[in-house]
Amino acid sequence: MTTPTGATTGGDTPGSTSDLADNAPADAPTDSGFRGLSPGKLMWRRFLRDRTGVVSAGVVLFFVLVAVLAPVISMIYGKDPQTHYGQNDPTLLTDSGLPVAPNGGMSGDFWFGLEPGLGRDILTQLVYGIRTSLIIAVATSVLTTVIGVALGIAAGYLGGKIDYFIGRVIDVLMSFPSQIFLIATMPVVTSLLVAPNEKIPEWLPFVAVTIVLSLLGWMGLARILRGVSLSLREREFIEAAKVTGASPMRIIFKEILPNLWTPILVQSTLALPAFVTAEAGLSYLGVGVSEPTPDWGRMIADAASYLRTDVTFLLFPGLAMVVFVLAFNLLGDSVRDAFDPKTSR
Amino acid sequence: MSSRKMRLAAAVLVAGALTVTTACSSGHSNGSGTPGASKEPVKTTAITIGSADDSKGPAIAEPNAKKGGTVNMIDRDDFSHLDPGQIYINTNAEVSLLFTRQLTGYKTMADGSQKLVGDLATDTGSTTDGGKTWKFTLKDGVKWQDGSALTSADVKYSIERTYAKFIKSGPTYIQSWISGDKYRDAYQGPYEGQHLDAVQTPDAKTVVITFADVHPDANFTLAMAGYGVVPQAHDTKEEYDKKPYSSGPYQITEHVTDRSLDLERNPNWDASTDPIRNAYPDKWHMTFGVQAQQSTERFMADNGDDKTAFSFHNTVFPAYIDQVKNDEKLKPRTLQGLTPYVDYYYINNTRIKDQKIREAMVRAFPHQQTRQLQGGSSYGDYATSYMSPSVMGWESYDAYGINKKPEGDPEAAKKILTDANALNTTITYAFNNTPLQQKVTEAIRDAMTKAGFNFVPKPIDPKTYYDVIGLLNNEYDLYWGGWGADWPTGYTALQPVWDGRAMADGASNYGHVDDPEINAAIDAAAKIADPVAAGKAFAAIDKKLQDKAYAIPDVYQRSLSLYGSGLGGVKYDSLAGLQSPLNIYVK
Repeated sequence: MTTPTGATTGGDTPGSTSDLADNAPADAPTDSGFRGLSPGKLMWRRFLRDRTGVVSAGVVLFFVLVAVLAPVISMIYGKDPQTHYGQNDPTLLTDSGLPVAPNGGMSGDFWFGLEPGLGRDILTQLVYGIRTSLIIAVATSVLTTVIGVALGIAAGYLGGKIDYFIGRVIDVLMSFPSQIFLIATMPVVTSLLVAPNEKIPEWLPFVAVTIVLSLLGWMGLARILRGVSLSLREREFIEAAKVTGASPMRIIFKEILPNLWTPILVQSTLALPAFVTAEAGLSYLGVGVSEPTPDWGRMIADAASYLRTDVTFLLFPGLAMVVFVLAFNLLGDSVRDAFDPKTSR
Repeated sequence: MSSRKMRLAAAVLVAGALTVTTACSSGHSNGSGTPGASKEPVKTTAITIGSADDSKGPAIAEPNAKKGGTVNMIDRDDFSHLDPGQIYINTNAEVSLLFTRQLTGYKTMADGSQKLVGDLATDTGSTTDGGKTWKFTLKDGVKWQDGSALTSADVKYSIERTYAKFIKSGPTYIQSWISGDKYRDAYQGPYEGQHLDAVQTPDAKTVVITFADVHPDANFTLAMAGYGVVPQAHDTKEEYDKKPYSSGPYQITEHVTDRSLDLERNPNWDASTDPIRNAYPDKWHMTFGVQAQQSTERFMADNGDDKTAFSFHNTVFPAYIDQVKNDEKLKPRTLQGLTPYVDYYYINNTRIKDQKIREAMVRAFPHQQTRQLQGGSSYGDYATSYMSPSVMGWESYDAYGINKKPEGDPEAAKKILTDANALNTTITYAFNNTPLQQKVTEAIRDAMTKAGFNFVPKPIDPKTYYDVIGLLNNEYDLYWGGWGADWPTGYTALQPVWDGRAMADGASNYGHVDDPEINAAIDAAAKIADPVAAGKAFAAIDKKLQDKAYAIPDVYQRSLSLYGSGLGGVKYDSLAGLQSPLNIYVK
């Protein structure tokens, strides 16, 4: 059996944490006197100097705001994502379901046009679709971070059999072809969670997708944290804590964890856009969030067959997706740069 | 350029693109008529029984047709069976017209109507006892591909071998009419030297078939490709499925499974014996694995070999329907017509016994919305009856005003539910879990909820869909399904689906309708020898089914397809719902 070869997530591993470890709160000043800037403030300053980071943070913030304010936007705009406008008003769609007006039915009433077929409003579908993406991606990020942190530190700090066992579990899970596994497990998870003759509640696909994505999403972080805590374990301040009789719980939470915030934050900000695309991918393949919950992945999948006849339908969800994921990725990069300026890329 | 600047540039570029308006897609018009209107009456395609004169060859010639050339065919799937005994699916049956003959067949007349005529037989058969004993006389000059004469013994042998164990997927009508439902126990096929006494051959030209009961439409049954002829001398049993021996105008030169099928002329076929097949081209080259979207794009582009191509089964991809309908250049090579299939939304009658609730479901159902999602008027005509208009004796009857309100009438449905004290009745709807059907389900959910039902959609894996809804104790109240008559009489249009005694796990009676009155009426109608009177009797059963709201007929399926500009004589075969190869010629 081979031992883990260290970070598999490539350049995402921070090259060094020692400078932060030196500034760790353990030996931070207790008096609020003049001692220079805290690491947090330093990081914030570095971040503000990075224009890309600020712009993408703005874009991300915009998307989050839109998601949070979706009902308000829908109310002001006067449309909702569930009504079949095109089917209720026969002048909007042709007999075979394509928008009558040019550019995918874009008009003063429907700013981004109409969905062919059911004739739902694309703008509100997109707005509510952000909610779907964000809820799932954030929940999955939180879940994978918690699992990754717990198992990674446990493996690194406790070592021995536990390390070996967790290490093998990670190996096995990482060797799974994740896309295929996700497609195969989604229906199983759904059928486990709902009785055969019950309505599938609206929250269920969210929970199912989150569970499935989390199941295969925590290993990268766990591996990185294992490596870092393995090296921290041997450091003097841990030795000192041990000598003074601190319990393992205290050492993990008070001594090791504070030194790991950088990799955790960087990893999870980079993981978030990955989960957004993974969720969209699942929906694109037809195993993700189902109708009537608005979802970008499903919109893009639907739009693909109208590429030649109604390209507007693909344009808006496609562009929104690109901007959203790009902004998140750039933000993740900038956060990493700010936390850890020495990292060379 | 540093990586950072590059990222910024990218971010700006994308942000900029968001503000660019799209001017690359134009609007869509409805062609003729207003959206969803399409209230033109359904045209009936009457099938009549032809005379002995009609049964004489050659087939009615196409004006300006000429012989020669190669015709290409592109389709999604290879033919799953070519052994006549195994053929039940329409595409298999349609291609086998080119190399296998039956006792009877359908002749297309000059005006486009169709007649049942004798193919190998001199006429459509005769019976003196109301349909229990059938006598067919073979034509002179009918031959196999090696030039040997095709005799009544060959016909007898072909029927006998449909009893064999390896024949699994063909029709079973004739066998069970002769030997009962467990016909395989009564006779195991001709391979061990035993023969079937019910099929007699008094001489080399005469075949007499005796059934246990009267079956006045048996001459239609024998027109099924499943009862095509197979020569004893060249019967290779299971292997026969790959390369059948020709009795028709073409023979198979090469068949590469899932890739291609090539046919060339059979020199021993005599056009003067054949009232059905024109056989203009010298060769046929058929290729498979072309999806509907691809084939639509290829026909629209009309390049190279695609100019002389047609497609048995591939129809116009839904997203292109408007474009095809509005393009004047495509109009001359567009085919439209009714298929024999009727789509139903079956109501599970073991679970919903209250006629009032069923009636409310019928009235609330959003036909227009679901049809629009699936291609609009090219998808089908709104159905009110349980039989297709292509069935003999079909009568227009609209018990619930569906043609007046195809979008559904939630108010009327709600009123019925309120009167029956059944508001918020739960309807569990099982559907194929595909992106399109999810949308269709949304439309149905919208309408049913408006009508006061508690609508519970249940997605089902498409691979197991029919297995799941086929169970008698399934837990669903409403599910989609289609049925097409095997031959255009009321018996096969109604009996397999609505006869209560045909109820079984996996059987076609998906709605679990078991009404003694209807069962008795089907029995009585099946025995009527006069086709017109039988048609009337089945139309009356159809009306009764409608009145009791046993199911929701949705559409009479339509087909819209294209073919290459270099072909002439491509016609639509409404009995199979496919493009017919019989009159095609290369311009």
